[in-house]
Amino acid sequence: MTRLFAKHQALISGFVSFAVLLLIWQLAVDLGYIKAFFVSSPSRAATEFWRQLQSGEVRDNMTVSLYEFAVGLSLAVAVGGLLGVLAGWSRTIEYILEPFIWFKYSSPTIAFYPIFIAWLGLGEPTIIAIAFIFALTPIYANTLSGIKNVDQDLVRAAKSFGARPHDLFLKVALPGSVPILIAGLRLAVGRALTGVIAAELFGATAGLGYSIAYYGQKLKTNEMMVSLVLVVILGVVFTQLLSLLEAATDSWRPNADR
Amino acid sequence: MSQIEIRDVSIEYKKPKSEETFVAIQGINLAIEKGSFVTIVGASGCGKSTLLLALAGLIRRARGSIRVEGRDVTGPGPDRAMVFQDASLLPWRSVHGNVRFGLELQRWSRDDLNERAARFVRMVGLGGFADYHPHQLSGGMRQRVNIARALAVDPQVLLMDEPFGALDAQTREVMGDELLRIWERDKKTAIFVTHSIDEAIFLGDRVVVMGRNPGHIRDVVEIDLPRPRAAAMLDSAAFIAYRRKLREYIAGDMQSLQMIKDVA
Repeated sequence: MTRLFAKHQALISGFVSFAVLLLIWQLAVDLGYIKAFFVSSPSRAATEFWRQLQSGEVRDNMTVSLYEFAVGLSLAVAVGGLLGVLAGWSRTIEYILEPFIWFKYSSPTIAFYPIFIAWLGLGEPTIIAIAFIFALTPIYANTLSGIKNVDQDLVRAAKSFGARPHDLFLKVALPGSVPILIAGLRLAVGRALTGVIAAELFGATAGLGYSIAYYGQKLKTNEMMVSLVLVVILGVVFTQLLSLLEAATDSWRPNADR
Repeated sequence: MSQIEIRDVSIEYKKPKSEETFVAIQGINLAIEKGSFVTIVGASGCGKSTLLLALAGLIRRARGSIRVEGRDVTGPGPDRAMVFQDASLLPWRSVHGNVRFGLELQRWSRDDLNERAARFVRMVGLGGFADYHPHQLSGGMRQRVNIARALAVDPQVLLMDEPFGALDAQTREVMGDELLRIWERDKKTAIFVTHSIDEAIFLGDRVVVMGRNPGHIRDVVEIDLPRPRAAAMLDSAAFIAYRRKLREYIAGDMQSLQMIKDVA
C-alpha cells in the first residue's frame, strides 16, 4: 500500500486535493455559506452539463471551438515552421523577421483584436486569425532555434561522408530538432486555445468562449460553468497528449531513460 | 607514385575579430603508400588534426596540393572516410542506423544499405546491440560504431582523428588491438592521429612526428615491429627504444613552449 502510494504520489495527492476542493465547494453551497448564484456548485454544474449534452449545446460549442482551434494552429504550424526553417537557413531572413517577432513578444497580441474585426468581421475568420497569431511565435522561435543550434560535430561528420545541403537538413538538422519542435508545438497548442477562447469571449455566435460570455452576461452561473470546465479539460487533454508525444520522440536523449 | 601525396601544404585560419591569420601548418610534405598504417603524433596545437581534416577535404588549404590516387582533394569524397571522436554519432539513430548513415549519404542502393550496415555492425562485435542508441553504449562501443560507419562505405583511405582520445587507458588498449584486427583483414590505408606515443608506435608502420609554431613535420620514424602486433610488444626493447626517441622529440617541443611562456 505504501509502495503503491510512493509510486503514484503526485497523482494521488493531486487527485485528493482536487476532490477535497470539490467537496468543500459543494458543502459550502449546500450548507448555505455561499450562494449558488455566485459560484454554482459541482452538482448543479453536473446537472446542467447533462442537459446541455442532451440538447446538443455541448457538441455544437465544442465543434465550433475545436474547428477554429485546429485551423488556427495548423496555419501557425505551417507558416511558423516555414519561416523558422527559412530564418534558420539564412541569416538575412532571420534579421528581416526579427523586429516583428520582437513586437509580438513584447506586446499583448489581443490588443490587435479590433483591427482583425475591422478586416475580417465579427466571427470565425477573426477568431482563427487570433488563434493563429497567438500560436505563431513559439512555433517560429523553436523551429529557428532547432535549426540554428544543430550540432556542428554532426554536421562535420555528415559532410565527411559527402552530405549535401538537403541531406544536412533532412537527416541532421530536422531529426535533431524534433524535441524542441515538439516543445514549441506544446506551447502553441496552449496559446491557440487561449486565442480561440479569448476571441470568442468578445465576439462570436457559437463556441465555448461564446457560451461562457453569453451565460456570464445573463448571470447564469450553472450554465456558464459547463463550458468553463470544458475549456479546462481541453487544455489539460491537449497538454497531456503533447507530453506523451514529447516522451515518445525524445527517447534517444540520454536523460530520457530515467 | 604513392597513393597519397601531400606537397608543400600550408593551412591558415583567420583569427576571430581581426584581419590577422594564424598559420596552423606550414610546408607539409608526406607520401603515404597504399595499405600502410601511418600514425601522427605531436603535442597539442601542432596541427595534426588540421592536417587530417585537410586530407578529409573538410578544410581549405592556403597552399600546396593533396592528391589521393592521383586526384586532387577538393572536398570530401567516397575514397576517404573519417572516424571522429564519439560526439559525432547521431544520438537519435540506433547503432544500425548510424552505420547506415554514411551509406545513405553516399547513395548506396537500398538493398545494400541494411545488409551492409548489419554486416559491419557485426564485424565490430556489436551484433547484439544493433538496436541500441549511442547513449546506451560505453565509450568503447560508440567508437566501434564510428569505425563501422567509416569502413562500411568501403573507402580507400581511413582517416582517424584521435578516435580513442576520450577512452580510459584499459579500453583504449583493447580498441587498439581491435582496430588492428579489423585493419589486418583488407589493409586499407589508415592515417591515425593521436597524442599517445605508445598508441602511435603500437599501431603504425610509420610514425609522423609533428612540431608546432607553426605545425610542421619533425621526423617520420619507421616502426620495424612484426605484425600482427601484440600487447606484449609494449615491453620489448625495440618498443622502448622507439618510445624514448619519440618522447624526446615531443618533450623538446614542450620545452620550447615553456621557454616562450617564460619569456612572456
